[in-house]
Amino acid sequence: MVNKFQNNNLNKIAYYPGCTLNTTAIDYNISTKKLLKILDIELKEIEDWSCCGTTPAYNVSEELSIALASRNLLLSKSMGLEDILSPCVSCYSKLLKASNVINSDIELKNIREKKIRSSVFKTLKYMEFDCNQDFNFRIYSIVEFLYLKKDYIRQKYKELKNKISYGAEINVLKKLKPVCYYGCLLLRPKDSIKFDDPENPISMEKILEQVDIESEEFQFKTECCGAILSLTHKNIAFELSKNILEAAIDAGANSIIVSCPLCQQNLDLRQSQINKYYKENYDLPIFYITQILGLSLGLSYKDVMIDKLFVEPKYKKE
Amino acid sequence: MSKLSKNFKKIKYDLINFIEPNIYYCYQCGKCTAGCPLTNFYEYKPHQITELIKLDRIDSIFDSNSIYLCLSCEICSNRCPQEINIAAIMNYLRNKSLQIGKPRIPIMSKFYKLFLKTVGRFGRSYEPALFLGLNLISGKLFNDLDIAFSILKKGKIKFLPEFIKGRKKMAKIIKKHM
Repeated sequence: MVNKFQNNNLNKIAYYPGCTLNTTAIDYNISTKKLLKILDIELKEIEDWSCCGTTPAYNVSEELSIALASRNLLLSKSMGLEDILSPCVSCYSKLLKASNVINSDIELKNIREKKIRSSVFKTLKYMEFDCNQDFNFRIYSIVEFLYLKKDYIRQKYKELKNKISYGAEINVLKKLKPVCYYGCLLLRPKDSIKFDDPENPISMEKILEQVDIESEEFQFKTECCGAILSLTHKNIAFELSKNILEAAIDAGANSIIVSCPLCQQNLDLRQSQINKYYKENYDLPIFYITQILGLSLGLSYKDVMIDKLFVEPKYKKE
Repeated sequence: MSKLSKNFKKIKYDLINFIEPNIYYCYQCGKCTAGCPLTNFYEYKPHQITELIKLDRIDSIFDSNSIYLCLSCEICSNRCPQEINIAAIMNYLRNKSLQIGKPRIPIMSKFYKLFLKTVGRFGRSYEPALFLGLNLISGKLFNDLDIAFSILKKGKIKFLPEFIKGRKKMAKIIKKHM
């Protein structure tokens, strides 16, 4: 994992947006694309990509989850790309799990794992994919990807800094006092993730430091926000999310920076519901890391779709 | 031996043999439970789940809310000093309980089916169908209406579903596993 960067400079990478980035997280999708264009990275969207199956498939049948996710991996392979960027953390986790089953260098430990792999290959063959080839898929979350590119981000920032004439965007950048919230699945399982500490990660803070943004210390970096229960067990999802908002305020922050569309929705879209449920007045904008980096590198509010946030920053125009 | 208890024997056998390291390495330190965000909501906590499996009481696990509520956040597996993959055990049990077909929290399995059927039909998720479907099956017609309006106001929705080319075969695969 550590050396996956060495044999490839990752200037061209397959892009798996996933269903959420196509609709309710369109701001994440657009800001990611625009940011990576500034960083000179060519994104190749996987053609005819399908849903990764996310939590429902995984909870109903692990095999189904791996089969649905693998379909997208094989589509990427047929485009000649085995490095895949998946900004949605739920998709990322399912693609990662699938790659840990079908990659050629994975040692299968017992007959159950062998059975799952052969059943997944059977399903893939049914979908008319060629399984008689070597697979070496590497799945990147946006945080890992940007962390690997952090020196280049610094270089670009220095290059652009004097050329950019910031408009109103400077207000957000100047008044920003964020905490970085990683969420649960970005750094798990720990065996597959070698770029950061799973208990006290610092990669998001380090990425933001490249564009001179300081973050506050935060205790709840990797606590789960409970998003997958927000449809069926609201009281639980609200409690977990409220704890995160509260901890961010205790840390002295005026915003939270995230990289997962499900965390973002749970904290941003449902913040009004949380306020109603607990009779609180939280007013914390929840930014995607790509939006903030984009603004720092000269993109406008419109470019990164700041107006699509449900809790818009009060300090946007002042 | 009844069919169900045979099933439980098989599940225990699979758990012990195929999810490594096996649960007999668990010495009940409780680190999984200490880290779990849902400890307060569970009827059985993660460290109790491993003990219940050892005691041949998988039926009690199936009757409790724990495996259905589990968020799969994997903090338990990450922190286990014996490196037992508790999250995988929870998911294995959840898979089995949904396959046996008498889930303790029916709304969750109904929602999963609705989601997977939608994905089978279009190849991708389609929020308007999920929203309406969930409100119908849960009987709470006005659930999340405020949020639906906010999403509409911000234009963060696609009214028409997107179809992918490979959807027919996907639907068949999904149906096979449901």
